[in-house]
Amino acid sequence: MRFWRFPAIAAALAASGFLASAAAFQTTPQPSHEQDFLSRIRRLTVEGRRAGEGYWSPDGKRLVFQSEREPGNPFYQIYAMDLTSGDVKRISNGVGKTTCAFFRPNSDEIEFASTHHDPKSKQYQEEELAFRASGKERRYSWDYDPEMDIYSYSEKTGAMKRLTTARGYDAEGSYSPDGQWIVFSSMRDAYNRTLSAAEQKQLETDPSYFAEIYIMRADGSGQKRLTSVPGYDGGPFFNHDGTRIIWRRFDESGLIANVFTMKLDGTDVKQLTDFGSMSWAPYEHPSGAYIIFSTNKLGFENFELFMVDSAGTKEPVRVTYSDGFDGLPVPSPDGRQLAWTSTRGGGSNGQLYLAQWNHEKALEAIKNAPPRKRT
Amino acid sequence: MKHLLSRLTLAVAFALVLPLCTPDLKVGPTHGGPRYVGPTFRSGVYAQATAAASRSRAHVVALASDRTEGRLTGSNGERVAADYLIAQLKRIGARPLPGRNDYRLPFEFTSGARDGGSSIQYDSVVPPSKPGEPMRGVSGGTIGGGGTEVRALSFSDDGKATGPVVFAGYGIVVPESQGFAYDSYATLDVKDKIVIALRYFPEDAEPKTKGILSRYSDLRFKAMAARQHGAKAIVFVTGPSSPNAGELVPMTFDTAIAGSGIVAASISGRIADQIFATMGDREKTVAAAQKALDDANPHVTGFAIPNLTVSVLTSVVREKKTGSNIAAYLPATTPPGTLAKPWIALGAHYDHLGHGESGSSLADKSDAGRIHFGADDNASGSAAVLVAGEALSKLPRKRNVLLEFWSGEELGLIGSAAYISAPPVPIDQLAAYLNFDMVGRMQNNKLTVQATGSSDAWGRLIEQANIAAGFDLALQSDPYQPTDVSSFNQAGVPSLNFFTGTHLDYHKPSDTADKIDYEDLDRVADFAATIARRVGDADQPPAFVKVQQQMEGGGGRAGVRVFTGTVPDYSTEVKGLLLSGVIEGGPAAAAGLQKGDVIVEIAGQTIANIYDYTYALDVLKIGEPTKLVYMRNGQRRETTLTPAARK
Repeated sequence: MRFWRFPAIAAALAASGFLASAAAFQTTPQPSHEQDFLSRIRRLTVEGRRAGEGYWSPDGKRLVFQSEREPGNPFYQIYAMDLTSGDVKRISNGVGKTTCAFFRPNSDEIEFASTHHDPKSKQYQEEELAFRASGKERRYSWDYDPEMDIYSYSEKTGAMKRLTTARGYDAEGSYSPDGQWIVFSSMRDAYNRTLSAAEQKQLETDPSYFAEIYIMRADGSGQKRLTSVPGYDGGPFFNHDGTRIIWRRFDESGLIANVFTMKLDGTDVKQLTDFGSMSWAPYEHPSGAYIIFSTNKLGFENFELFMVDSAGTKEPVRVTYSDGFDGLPVPSPDGRQLAWTSTRGGGSNGQLYLAQWNHEKALEAIKNAPPRKRT
Repeated sequence: MKHLLSRLTLAVAFALVLPLCTPDLKVGPTHGGPRYVGPTFRSGVYAQATAAASRSRAHVVALASDRTEGRLTGSNGERVAADYLIAQLKRIGARPLPGRNDYRLPFEFTSGARDGGSSIQYDSVVPPSKPGEPMRGVSGGTIGGGGTEVRALSFSDDGKATGPVVFAGYGIVVPESQGFAYDSYATLDVKDKIVIALRYFPEDAEPKTKGILSRYSDLRFKAMAARQHGAKAIVFVTGPSSPNAGELVPMTFDTAIAGSGIVAASISGRIADQIFATMGDREKTVAAAQKALDDANPHVTGFAIPNLTVSVLTSVVREKKTGSNIAAYLPATTPPGTLAKPWIALGAHYDHLGHGESGSSLADKSDAGRIHFGADDNASGSAAVLVAGEALSKLPRKRNVLLEFWSGEELGLIGSAAYISAPPVPIDQLAAYLNFDMVGRMQNNKLTVQATGSSDAWGRLIEQANIAAGFDLALQSDPYQPTDVSSFNQAGVPSLNFFTGTHLDYHKPSDTADKIDYEDLDRVADFAATIARRVGDADQPPAFVKVQQQMEGGGGRAGVRVFTGTVPDYSTEVKGLLLSGVIEGGPAAAAGLQKGDVIVEIAGQTIANIYDYTYALDVLKIGEPTKLVYMRNGQRRETTLTPAARK
């Protein structure tokens, strides 16, 4: 699923000389049509260095998100925001790194991935704080900590239950609409077999190459692998009725990503986008009519939201017109609002944004879009 | 909001030698990229619900009316506006501050200067060229007395200077550090003499040369150069090939007035011609002298005017006026008891530019002299304080809520600075200060919140309040803003400033009440009231964080590269540079300087005022220790300051 690895990739691309050719994709500024789909745009998060990945509670009254705002911990922790009162409470336990939370439908549980069980967690926190205190700044990057495992947290009891234990990064989880299944991404394949020398080198430079999509029951049982194509498969979500999985697949180079869907058993794989750029973070509108995603086809560091019909028959339609990053779109359960992560407030660190979503205009724009060009 | 220039004054006045006719409108945030142009938030459902009854409209309309005449500090319009504010404060149940029975807090300020009867006298006595011939003499008598022939410069010292006369060309000295050799005094001895110099800069120079020379042609800079060369007085004439040929220099409206340590005046072209004529040489006229200088050839020098004694008498009457801050409070509804810092303040300046008398009016020629209504700047902020105050008046309060309206902001944050220097409620009892300056022109739901770096508590408070308010927030941590929030930040109070962005009517008569977005102005007031209520009800007040002052390049002079970390106080008249603070961790702090010190000399150059100091910065070198002399409690002290690079 859905996280935010683009700056790491930017650095890699710059080194490989790809950036220059990517810049050629940049188009002349176009008149903005953002207001066709988004209105009453507002910034939701302020505190902390960065925040993102906001996912709705099934009743549409709360968002669970990750934010770097915990005193003494420079890494993401998981928080839930009440959209009525403005109250924010921490969900994770404050230790280590966390990511990718999701409300479990018909339940008081929230899943997320965490490293807090790693005895070295606090040491890493202190090292990172010392690094930042030194005044140095590194580009944001995600390190695919192999200790990352998926947990579920009960809001009633406060109990935390570990759902995965495999060596290797387990994260990017989300529940099915009935709350019975979790689809997630794992790099366990890099640890449960003997790697060739080339693969070993790959693991050291970019472990995400080994990431594949898995499914399991909500209690962690029945873990099953669904993909087996080289390159990073991640960011999976169920579609609106729980019959398909939507995710993004990177090519072997880690440079190009596209949005795919498949059945829950891993069959009937369909590719929905074909921009030759990084198209990722897909999420289906609750109507089931279209998928909103993020792509940098208009400029390497300019990620914009686009949408495409759920069957991928039409050319995607641009949604946002704002410099910098717009990504990780998540429509509200009633389909009338959109939460996403953006740098439009300034600086390079994203924050959560919320806007009214014009579903009728979106349907109309998709209807009028030309058939998808196939390469 | 005060003009951006004042911000630079605050941050060491480095733009003052630039022409002031090119305002930099980039006062506001420039976050993000191109904004979309389209329906604003006002077209949304929310606006329909509230458009019926804006609470802020009546306040803005009253404050920005013809009757308040632009609310110039010290004017009748200011008093009319204050009467309105006081009536509204009474209406919502706000009381005069403890121990007072008046809502007005008067302060005195320098509103301008006029000539008090300056004069000039010249006597030429030419010795006989052959023995036995009589002496020849010309006496100009005493000319002046406030007429059209001689006028003191507004920054002149009062006094009389008598001595021989040297014509020093344009009187320009370009500091060596600029790598451009031009020194009008290079070959001249002016010690204890009267210098006559041309106003402006060589008229026919190449544009690039002109650009450099113009930076050092400010009359204050020229006067300082003359003083530093030992001259007793400097007399300016506007040369015949310059604009305003032969005219006197007008008395400028200048609140940062401070004596320049020298007698300085301007004389008419007619008097200058008479003085030059005493040389009895048809070739040596003012026009000829200027023509020789106008291509900026650095080897063309001035000359002594022989056999001549000039006396210059200057008298500047600095006009004092009284402005009024307005302050009231809503008492806590439960006794604060032992609650830490039992006060919170909301404030906005209510003064504006009158008819544009001050230099910061941006009125077009066709609009000059008309009432500057200042509906956005800052009737809108004043209205926000009243609306937020009224909302808070109806709620339980654990802390006392101050509602304060500043005057003198447009003249240089004078009102809030006066308040801070003698606060009726001790500043250390203040949990937080919320300021509003230009909050009536929201576009695309965008609200800028400034000074957020003044406390780590702001992030959470703003986040929480905005979930209901729903603004597209832009945050600026920098508290050194060109508005009264700066005064409170300097005093160590966690502060915020709310701002909806600048616009083309800024500082023009066209900033009128009909252009205000009242629905969103109400929302800003509600948003701030929510934050005020949360701070007011919290057991622990926000902790203050001292933000390092960032030196922004925008609008500044490219040549100024050094950073000294001083914060001048430009509202108090002293000889030297009075510091209202030093930037923590900056060179001045490292040199042991502190608030209240008066810098009188740096790098061997005497400092009579902020302008001298600004010019002195040009000769400082980054990383090179420099001797600095300052006064503390009347005692002269020395220290070493090592300038840093401006970031």
